[in-house]
Amino acid sequence: MTNTNRENDDQAFADATAMRRSGEAMIELEGVDKFFGDFQALKNINMRVAKQEVIVVIGPSGSGKSTMIRCINRLEEHDRGRVVVDGIELSDDIRNIQEVRRETGMVFQQFNLFPHLTVLDNVTLGPRQVRNLPKKEADDLAMELLTRVQIPEQARKYPGQLSGGQQQRVAIARSLAMNPKVMLFDEPTSALDPEMIKEVLDVMKELAKSGMTMLVVTHEMGFAREVADRVVFMADGEIVEVGTPEHFFTNPTEDRTKLFLSQIL
Amino acid sequence: MDPQNPYAPVDLGTEEPLPSLEPEGPREHLPPGRWIRKRLFNNRYNSLLTIVLVTVLGFATYRVGRFLFVTARWDPVVTNLENFMIGRFPRAERWRVIAQVILWAATIGLGWGAAVAGARFRATQSGVEYLEDRSLAKLRRYWALVALVVVLLVTAGTLGPAVVAICSVAAGAGLQKLGARVPGRWIGAVWALVGALGVLGFQIVSGFDGLAWLWTAVFVAAGVNSMLSQRGFPDTRRERQTRLAAAAAVFIAAYCIYALLLPALIETEGVGWDNWEGFRVNLLAAAVATVLAFPLGLLLALARRSGFPALRIMATAYIELIRGVPLITLLLMAQYFIGFFLNTSTPLSLVSRALAAMTLFTAAYIAEIVRGGLQAVPNGQVEAGNAIGLSPWKTTRLIVLPQALRAVIPAMVGQFISLFKDTSLLYIIGVAEILKIRELVHAQPAFRGYGIAETLIFVMFAFWAVSFTMSRESQRLERRLGVGER
Repeated sequence: MTNTNRENDDQAFADATAMRRSGEAMIELEGVDKFFGDFQALKNINMRVAKQEVIVVIGPSGSGKSTMIRCINRLEEHDRGRVVVDGIELSDDIRNIQEVRRETGMVFQQFNLFPHLTVLDNVTLGPRQVRNLPKKEADDLAMELLTRVQIPEQARKYPGQLSGGQQQRVAIARSLAMNPKVMLFDEPTSALDPEMIKEVLDVMKELAKSGMTMLVVTHEMGFAREVADRVVFMADGEIVEVGTPEHFFTNPTEDRTKLFLSQIL
Repeated sequence: MDPQNPYAPVDLGTEEPLPSLEPEGPREHLPPGRWIRKRLFNNRYNSLLTIVLVTVLGFATYRVGRFLFVTARWDPVVTNLENFMIGRFPRAERWRVIAQVILWAATIGLGWGAAVAGARFRATQSGVEYLEDRSLAKLRRYWALVALVVVLLVTAGTLGPAVVAICSVAAGAGLQKLGARVPGRWIGAVWALVGALGVLGFQIVSGFDGLAWLWTAVFVAAGVNSMLSQRGFPDTRRERQTRLAAAAAVFIAAYCIYALLLPALIETEGVGWDNWEGFRVNLLAAAVATVLAFPLGLLLALARRSGFPALRIMATAYIELIRGVPLITLLLMAQYFIGFFLNTSTPLSLVSRALAAMTLFTAAYIAEIVRGGLQAVPNGQVEAGNAIGLSPWKTTRLIVLPQALRAVIPAMVGQFISLFKDTSLLYIIGVAEILKIRELVHAQPAFRGYGIAETLIFVMFAFWAVSFTMSRESQRLERRLGVGER
């Protein structure tokens, strides 16, 4: 993977665009519908995420953002349409689902660390149990990742002994330990105190710079502006508008987008 | 609850204290005179209350005390202590019971020590200084006291065995100190030794048949297995395969030595279940049913939540059926009708049939308790497990179950205490457990209709001593798991 220089947004966007045009899609959603009972949570979602692209999904609560990214690793089952991750189409076949999940990291709003395992064991669980890595190698990998998210000294503690920001960074390390091709972030900073948001966003920025394909649901507009290749705006289960951050924040086309931005900015 | 992580177990230590019902300010240490005035006679109403309560309590204490220490006729109990404990167990074989006491004292002592060492190991591994709380030390003394009482009761009659048993309890306490110093990687081996000693203690009474050695070999193999595994965390398939292969080899070797060599060297006859009587039966029945009911209940709970309708329906039907009938009806079934259903050539003994009934009964309740625990584990945990690619079974085994079981320790111990007390129902189907022995005692010409209340009080005390110990133990376990691991 090449290191894209994100300081030059235009260049980055051009790279991503080029990759999109080259047809190397990491995630494809085609006509995806999702119902919860009678309620339609997703309406005809079409999206392509290119390799190494960073997409930020924003929108009001209940607009289906989380549901959409949870459909990508099958935490939610879609009712119609296709979901393809790195060439694997999600079906009812458990092996397909497992394969997609192995290649997809997910970071949750509530961290969902395993409280009965140490930080180190939280991170090594996936590599050891799913990838059958020997303990020594898994431990080395975990320490490397914990260093990357800047908390190697917490490895022997239990999640309950860490702050929220530290826990979320452990959660990121835990996902990265599976060496995923895509990282999904479901409102990773929404449960954090303001002073801890930055430390998590910094880790995410570093990750984006390293060329990870990322799909981020967030309310952090600063992050969207700085890091995203494209911003997706959703409302009422539909994708309303897609564009570069520049386009999106300075010159949105849809009225619904304008209304949303006027309310939050 | 921690706002950062609502799924983190509640740390009772740092929780905001509830508003105290006691007077404000730090707890004062008043001189006795002022304390009485302030706490008991601070106004007219409280003075009246104090006077009334002191009168009632004083009178009750006087009557109970007078009964217990003056008028009560304890001689049926004193004369028959040994009968109460072991019933009509052949007296020539009594050394087996004493050997069992010694072995189990060692088992408990060592097991306790290993538990402490394990807690310390985990604590140091997580970089926390391990502090042995003082309440633990207090409880240990208390435990020794109860053990002493029980041992005295079990072996009463002649001084010699009693002395031996007391010494063995002391040795057990010593082993506990030793066990607590075991380094981390040996803890598994110590647990295996504990298991082997426990089985040996069981078999020294019931006889060394093939099954005994089988179990001992199982524990030795488990020890090797645990030594080879890296402690505290499940390993990968490859590591597991080598480990299990080694353990299997050890198992076969150990079993061959035991089965072929030892019977040539020692006497293997024992005293079977049917001759086990007295309080021993209550204790053993509860212990065996507990050990068997737990895994069965666990499986039932998982089956009830499983995605396979057939499994779910069967488990639900079983649980609801068993929970809907009184235990005594199941015991009566075991007494009269099991023979019709199981066409065995050698009929099972009454005790083992009753044990089966108690196990099946308790398993249904354990299943419901465990199900409660499973439901208490937030769905986010399952999602996180799925998201890193764990299979559903591994998610359950490595993530959901450890959390669920820890949450239900108190309820589970409650169930086991209740099971222990329910062993008194064996009386009704004619097993010579302690209540039945009491009846036999009063059939003796000397004690016919004599000291009936006293013997009953004694039986109650025997049950209470064990139940109370169990309940205190569960509190200790809860505290340690809650604080040490989080």
